[in-house]
Parts: sequence; structure tokens; C-alpha cells
Amino acid sequence: MILTFALFIPWLGALALAVLNGWTQGQARRVAAASAGLSLLALVFAWLGFNPDGPLFQHIDEVSWVPSLGVAYRVGADGIALAVATMSAVLFVAAIFYPVETRGQPRQYYAWLLFLQGAALGVFLTLDLLLFYVFFDLTLVGMFFLIGRWGHGEAQTAALKFFLYTFAGSLLLLLGIIGLYLSLETPTFDMRVLIAEQPLAGTGTYAGLVFLALMLGLAIKTPLVPLHTWLPQAHVDAPGPASAILAGVLLKLGTFGMIRLPLAMMAETFATYALPVAILALVAILYGALVALGQANLKRRIAYTSINHMGYTVLGIAVAASLLTDNPAARQLALTGATVEMVAHGLITGALFLISGSFWQRTGDYALDHYGGLAYQAPLLTGFTVLAAFASLGMPGLAGFVAEFQVFTGTFAIYPWLAVLGVLGILVTAALFLDMLRRLFFGRLPTNLGHFPELSRREWSVLGVLSLGIVVIGVYPRFLLTLIDASSAILVGGR
Amino acid sequence: MMLWLVPLVPLLLAPALYLSGRRLGQAGLVALAASGLLVTLAMAGLAEAAGGASRYAWSETLTLGLAMSPAGRVAALLVPLIALPVVIYAGAGSGARLLALLVAFVGAMQLLILADDLLTLLIAWELIGACSWALISHRWEKPHVPRDAATAFLVTRFGDLGLYIAAGAVFAGSGGFGYDDLAQLQGGLKHVAVAGLLLAAAAKSAQVPFSAWLFAAMSGPVPVSALLHAATLVSAGLYLIARLEPALSDVAWFAPVTVVIGLATALAGGIVATCQDHAKKLLAASTSAQYGLMWVAVGAGFPGVALLYFVAHAFMKAGLFLSAGEAERQAGTFDLTHMRLGRRLPGVAVMALILSLALAGVAPLGAAWAKEQVVAAAYHQAVVLALLVSLAGGLSALYATRFQRLAFGRPPHSLTPGLPEAPGPSVPATLSLGALVVGTLILSVLWWPELHRSIVESLTFSLPPGHLWLLIVSLLLVAAGIAIGIWMTRPGQTLPAQLEAKRPMAAQWFGLSAATAALAGWTSVLGHRLARFDDEVVDAGLRATARAGEWLARLGAGRGEWLGESLPGSLTRLSEWGGRWARQAQSGQTHHYYTGIAVGCGVILVLLWIGALL
Repeated sequence: MILTFALFIPWLGALALAVLNGWTQGQARRVAAASAGLSLLALVFAWLGFNPDGPLFQHIDEVSWVPSLGVAYRVGADGIALAVATMSAVLFVAAIFYPVETRGQPRQYYAWLLFLQGAALGVFLTLDLLLFYVFFDLTLVGMFFLIGRWGHGEAQTAALKFFLYTFAGSLLLLLGIIGLYLSLETPTFDMRVLIAEQPLAGTGTYAGLVFLALMLGLAIKTPLVPLHTWLPQAHVDAPGPASAILAGVLLKLGTFGMIRLPLAMMAETFATYALPVAILALVAILYGALVALGQANLKRRIAYTSINHMGYTVLGIAVAASLLTDNPAARQLALTGATVEMVAHGLITGALFLISGSFWQRTGDYALDHYGGLAYQAPLLTGFTVLAAFASLGMPGLAGFVAEFQVFTGTFAIYPWLAVLGVLGILVTAALFLDMLRRLFFGRLPTNLGHFPELSRREWSVLGVLSLGIVVIGVYPRFLLTLIDASSAILVGGR
Repeated sequence: MMLWLVPLVPLLLAPALYLSGRRLGQAGLVALAASGLLVTLAMAGLAEAAGGASRYAWSETLTLGLAMSPAGRVAALLVPLIALPVVIYAGAGSGARLLALLVAFVGAMQLLILADDLLTLLIAWELIGACSWALISHRWEKPHVPRDAATAFLVTRFGDLGLYIAAGAVFAGSGGFGYDDLAQLQGGLKHVAVAGLLLAAAAKSAQVPFSAWLFAAMSGPVPVSALLHAATLVSAGLYLIARLEPALSDVAWFAPVTVVIGLATALAGGIVATCQDHAKKLLAASTSAQYGLMWVAVGAGFPGVALLYFVAHAFMKAGLFLSAGEAERQAGTFDLTHMRLGRRLPGVAVMALILSLALAGVAPLGAAWAKEQVVAAAYHQAVVLALLVSLAGGLSALYATRFQRLAFGRPPHSLTPGLPEAPGPSVPATLSLGALVVGTLILSVLWWPELHRSIVESLTFSLPPGHLWLLIVSLLLVAAGIAIGIWMTRPGQTLPAQLEAKRPMAAQWFGLSAATAALAGWTSVLGHRLARFDDEVVDAGLRATARAGEWLARLGAGRGEWLGESLPGSLTRLSEWGGRWARQAQSGQTHHYYTGIAVGCGVILVLLWIGALL
């Protein structure tokens, strides 16, 4: 029941906000924060109750719905889903608390955020393939309105581009899902059955086409180069908290889907195509980092680093899928690393986008060249940005390192050359973040920024909580790794 | 647990120092930092007495291990010992941030020293890099400072990539990350691992071709340079290869490559230092060169010798940097051609003289003994190596003399500047400089055979056999270096025009600095090009799809709709016309009907005939 609770509390909150009139900004925020927080609490309890030595999926709820089609309300979580879902819930609470200009419509804003939280958690927690697709698409709706209504710049265009592009991906995903569904002898959307039966093993071209449809759909969401161009514009024009959710949670739907669908349900086919996927991931790592280095806009720069980081995740997944050498330990390391990367990237990039939202609220400007010398003016802002930037460039002691180290070492054991080239990504990432810090905080203060305000209490407490998460994962990742390893060991066949 | 306290005490003290900065005041801060370092020193001593190893598990595969090693026993004591006077010196004129970062730097270095596996090593290795970035960018208001800090961080991080690869190779071969896994590694993976480690070490200890980053690091404050060169960042590379020498030397090419890199750096760095006019950069080039000598010792198979020279170097180099800082405070610049402060800073000048003599390798100072051991170690491999090392020693003597004479020589009376004099060195500055000089002097006891033999044996290292003629050659070269140095620095002395023309290039590492900058520039240009490519080409596919969709929609709305509208419309008209025509047939006249029947029968007959034919 606990996962169902986590799933529907945000939607109840959203409903209440949508229906009941006359709430002030503060009240609306408190209601939203309470429902998001309760959902997070439920996930924490689910985590505490998760048995690492138990079966793959735990905390299962199942209610029959359309038995003739094999559709049912099924929720349950493995360690990977639980880790990513909990991170998402943390990020939603942070996004709700973070101050933002709601343009006189606080109720609607918080209702859409809660709606989005329910949909996103649904993707992570459902065990029914059809529901997976439904939740997957519902997230688009929520984000569409958040960008379109509360964005700035060309918000409407950006929202439309985001919606249409990723919706095209969803349709491919749907094709793949139908392909998977029809390949079963007694068709059902139950993921557990699909994982156990591996229905497409040894079916050649048909399996290849289904795999292609699934991967294309998920790669657009991730996004993998060259299917990424919806991302920068959506980020630049979205309000800060929505950007944080977009990067921190919605991108994970793509990589989480890769683990849940192709990796778990069609391991043999994925193994055949693991190397091309890994090479694409390498391209995303290097290309994303270099393009990010070439950006003069704060938010676009952070957006492109997301492409780079999701590249690490896809690389880890592809390595986990590869059966090239009989080295389950390395594949497990890569898969665990990929999952930690999702969690770490969610917290780190979430923090970075919230910070860029603060910049926008103060000056309405993302141009890096218009800033400088803020370190004295806003030491707290500087401190949190430096921490998040160093976490993002993979500094040990912070969350990103735990992920990237595992991905690289796991990759080296399977595809040594890809690992050797891939590590260059962390060098470029270091260059681009140091350059960003230099342009924002060091050097001379431009005269028009003489009254640049320091972070407010609410801002720094939210960033403080996210930073605490980043540091704790970096120093004591055991609690997270135990949870994830429980599932990645089963998925790579090590247990 | 004791082992963990050695790095954790300074690492945890650092945030406390930073946060309590305002409340404690200057003296309190320094006292707290210094006592923290003393505790670290005591912990290191206790840990050495207790020995053993300790692990901290992240997951089944990833464990962080600490253990005491012979090399670690030397370094773990040395680092806080050097940091102590440096922190006291730094406390005199700077805030809580600098002190906190210096203390954190010591903690990260201690973690590196005690690391027993590649994961822990990598963590510490990157942490000292981050600390150095923060320390070098201490004066971030100046536009060039953050740039230089980034350069230093990025060049050393390029080396860090080698550690990632080495860790990957060790894991691929053994499933673990321990140093013992590295030692047992076989085949191609071992070569990869050793190459990665060597790359990381070369970048950190500023060996050729990575030497130029040390110049960028000179943008940091004086105490930062002192600590960075003497005991932490730069020494990490040397420490790594000295610590892992038994495992690394299994690979046949390790020894020659290490010797060549070290020797090349020692000779090139010597020339760079001889040509450099910036006091700190002269010392920086000399750091590269001195570590080059230590690399030669490791490559020759005597890591113990390298470590002893490392100890001697740490005291003198930290002291020399502090003396350069005092000189800058008087002269207002690090330009050696505007110093000659012997009259204004007599005390500092005498202390610097002792340190310079140590750098020059003049007996009976301990540094000289250690350097002669390096020569002997090189001789163990080949005579020509020993002679080249001696030559590098001669160069050390040359630039040490040049530094001392230019910075603290006595000016000719006519040149005494009329500027108001800055206040003399503060008490903490004098004390810390004095402590380092005393350390340098005490090390002279290394010449005593019983002592150095027992030290080396207790650390399970060995010493190369010495040769008297080698010692004489080496000392003669030192004397020659000093003589040339004195000649070069006579007031009014100019170099021959040919040499003078080449000097600026040589002073900048023969163009290595420019090459590093160019590489960074190209990467940046590539980034900008790719960003435009992404906007104009990759996104164009999406825009083209959108345009194609719009065109299709317009086509449908225009022609398609017209076609859709007119097709059923014309069918209607056609059937209307047919209806009208059919009605005309109903004329009521019989002959019309008979004609119709006849034509109909004819048609039926023709059809039947066609059917029969087919």
C-alpha cells in the first residue's frame, strides 16, 4: 500500500488545489509541500522496508482492471526504481519550496507541479507496461503547462517544441510496447511476466525492430545526441524549479526506461546492440561537454552538461547489457554506477537549475559575460554554486564521483577504449565549470550588480538540503549502493 | 581507527576554522590551526607506532583502505611538520578561508599518503587538486588569478585521468582496486595501469611536458606556494611512484622512462630557473627540477633516496618561498632585478643564504648528502647518468646562487632606492622561517654514516654504494655553478647578446606554457564551433521536419481539401446528369422503346460472343 500512497497523495493534493478556490500563495505552497513531503516520507519508509536480499520487486500492490487485455493496476519497486523515485520526490519538495514568480496563479502552478510528481513517480513505480506508457505521457502534459504558462522568453514555442518532439518519442515507445505485448503467448502488460519470459529472445529482425522503437523513444527523452535539441530551449525558457524537475526527474524517465524495458525485458537483443549504444553514449559525453563549453548562456551551459551526464548513464547501461566478456562484476558496477549517476545528476543539476532560477529572478539575464565578482557580494550563492559545480565535474567526496568512477571502471573492463576516451569528458566538464565560476563570481563586479541580493533564507535552506544529499552520497554512499546493488546484481544475472 | 584520524582531524578542522573565523580572531585562528596540525602530527606518529590497516566499505566492490607503508612513514610526519610553520606564517596576514583551506590541504594529502588502494588514492588525489584550485584563486578579484587557478587544476586533472584508467585496468584484471591487486596484475593491463599512474604522477609533480602549470600556480599567495611545492601537491606525484615503486618496476620500461622524464625535467628546469627573473617562478622551475632528480632516484631503483631528498627539499623549498614572500613585501614586486635587499632584510638574508646553500647542494648540509645519493643511485645504472645528474646539480647551484644574490645581495651604494622602507618581517614570519632553517641545518646529521644507515634500514630501503671520485666531480660542478652564478649576478653584468635573446623563451619553459595555453584555446574554439554546429545543423533537422509538417498541412488545407471537396461533388453532378438523361429516355413513343430493345439484344449477343471467344 505504501507505494500507492506515495503515488496518489500528490494527485490528491493537485486535485484539492485545482478545485478549491481562494488560497494565497503561502497556503497553496504549504498544501503542495505537505503532499509532496508525505509522498517522500512514504518512499523513505518503503526504502527502509526494502529487503536487499529479497526478490527483485517488492512492496507490490495489484488490482485487476481489464483482465481480458492483461491490464491491471500494478505497482512495485526494485532498488533502482526506489532510489530514483526517492530522489525525484526530494527534488519535487525542493522545487515546491523554492521561491518563484507564479504570476498570480499560485494554485495552478503548485497543482501542476504535484500532478507532475504523481505522473513521474508513476513511471518509476508501476509494474504494468500500459500504465507505464500512460504515466510517461502524462508527465509531458504537466511539463508543457509549467513551461508554457510560467516560462519566460519564447515560453510557448519552447513548450510546444518540447511537447511535440518528446511526444513523437512516446509514440515510438508505444509501438515498441505493443510489439513486446503481442510477442507473448498470453498477452499481458505485467512487467514481471515480460522480464521472466524474455519473449523476444532469438527472434532476430522482429526483436531488433522492437528494440529500435523502444530505444529511439527513450533516447529522445534521455536525450541522446543527436536527438537532444529540444532540451536547451525548453530549459532556457522554463522557470527555475521547472527546469530543475525537467533535468532532475524527466530526463531520468528515458534512462530508467532503458533499464526497465530493453535491459530487463530483452537482454539478449540489447546485448547484440550494446556496442553501438555505448558508442552513441560516448558521443553524447564528449559532444555534450564540448558544446556546453561553447555556451555563453548560463542555463544553456548547464542544460548541455545534462546531455553529457546522461551520456555516462547510458554508457553504464550499455555496458551492463553487453555480454561480450563474462564479467558480471564489471557489468554490475556499471549498472550501479549508471543508477547512482541518475540520483546524483538529479540532485546536482537540480541544484544548479534552482541557482540559475535565482539569477533570473534577480537580474532577468543568463548571459555569463554580464556577471562577475559576485563572490564578495553573495558568498552563500557562491558557496552553493561552487559545491554543485564541483559535484557535477566529478569531485570525490561528492555524489557525482561515486557514479562516474563506477561507470568508468565498469566500462574499462568491457570496452577499454570507450572508457579511455570517455574520461576526457570529465576534463572538459571541469574546464567548463571552472570557466563558469570564474565568469560569475570572480574578477571585477560590474557596476550594475552593486545591489545584487544574497540568497534568501528559503533559497539557501533548499540548496542546503540538496547539497547535504550530494555530500552524504559522496562520503557515505553505502546506504544507496546497497539498495541499488540488490537490483543490479539480479539484472546482470549475478544473483 | 587511528589511521583514519590522521586525515580526518585536519579535514574536519578546516570547516570549523572557516566557520569560527570571526569569533576567534587572528591569534585564536592560528592557534587552533597550529594545534590541529600538532594533533595530526601526533596521530601520524601514533599510527606509525601502531601500524596495521583499516577499511571502510562503500559497497561489496568498493572499499576504501588505509595502511602505513615505509614511504608513508616518512611523508605522514613530514607533511604536518612543514605545514606548521607555513600556517603560522600565513596566519599573520590572511583570513580564515586561507587557513582553513591550508589545513584541509594537509588532510587530503595525509589521505593520499595513507591510501592503500587506487580508489582512496584517486579520492585524495583529486581533493588536493581541488584544494589547490581554491588556494591559488585566493585573490580572485584579479582577473588573471582565477584563470591561472583553472589552468593549474586542468593540467593536473589531465593527469588524474591516468589514475581513472589505471583504476579501471586494475579492476578489469583483478576485480578489486587494492595496491596488492596492482602488484599481482599481469600482462597488458599492467602496462596500462603503470602508464596511467606514471601520467598522473608526472602531471602532479610538474615533470616535462606538464611543468608549465607550476608557473600558473604562482598566482597563489606565498604560503600556498610554500606548502604546495614542499609537501603537498607537487610532492604527491613523487610520493606515488616512490610508494608503488616495487609494483611499478615490474614493467620493464618503467625505470628508463622515469629516469628520462626526471633527468629531462632536472636539466630543462635548471635552465629555466637560471633564465627566470621572477623570484617565485625561479623557485617553481627549481621545484620541477629537484623533483626531476628524485624521479631519477626512483627510476634507478632507490625510492628511499628519493624520499630522503624529498625531506631535505621540503624544508629548504618551503623556507625559500617564505623568504621570497618577505622580499616581495619589501620590494613590492617579485622581479629579481629590483631586489638586492641584503641591507634592508639582513636577518632574512642570512636565513635565505643557508637555504640557498642547501638548494645548491653545498656540504655539509643534509640536502647535499641526499643529492649525492641521487648521483650514486644514477651511477648504479650508468656512468653517463651520474654525470648528467651532477650537471643538473651544478645548475641547481647556479640558480640558487643567482636567487640569493639577486634577492638578498647587497646593492651597490649608488643604486639604493629612495623609497620608504616597509616594516621589517613580523615575529611569526621570522619564527616560521627560522624553524625551517633550523630543520635544514639539523638535517646535516644525515652525513653521519651510522645515522643514515639506521634510518634507511628501519624503513626497509637501501642505499646505493658511494664513490669518492663521483663525490668530487659532483662537488666541483657545484662550485662551478656557484662561481658562474656569482659572475652572472655582478651588478651591471650583462650576458652575451645571443644568450640574452634566447632567455625569455627559455624562461617560459621553452614554449611549454604557450603550448598549454594554445591547447586550451583550441578546445575552447572547438566548443564554440560545435555549439554553432548544434544550433545550425543538428537543430536544423528538427526545424526542417517542422517546416515539412507545416507544408503538408498547407497542402492538405489547399489542394487536398479542394480535391476532397470536388471529388464527391463531381460524382453528385455526374449522377444528377445521368438521372436527367435517363428521364429523357422515357418518351412514351413505342418506336423508341423497340429501338432500345433491339440495341439491348445486340449488346447481349455481342457479350455472349465475346464470352464464347474467351
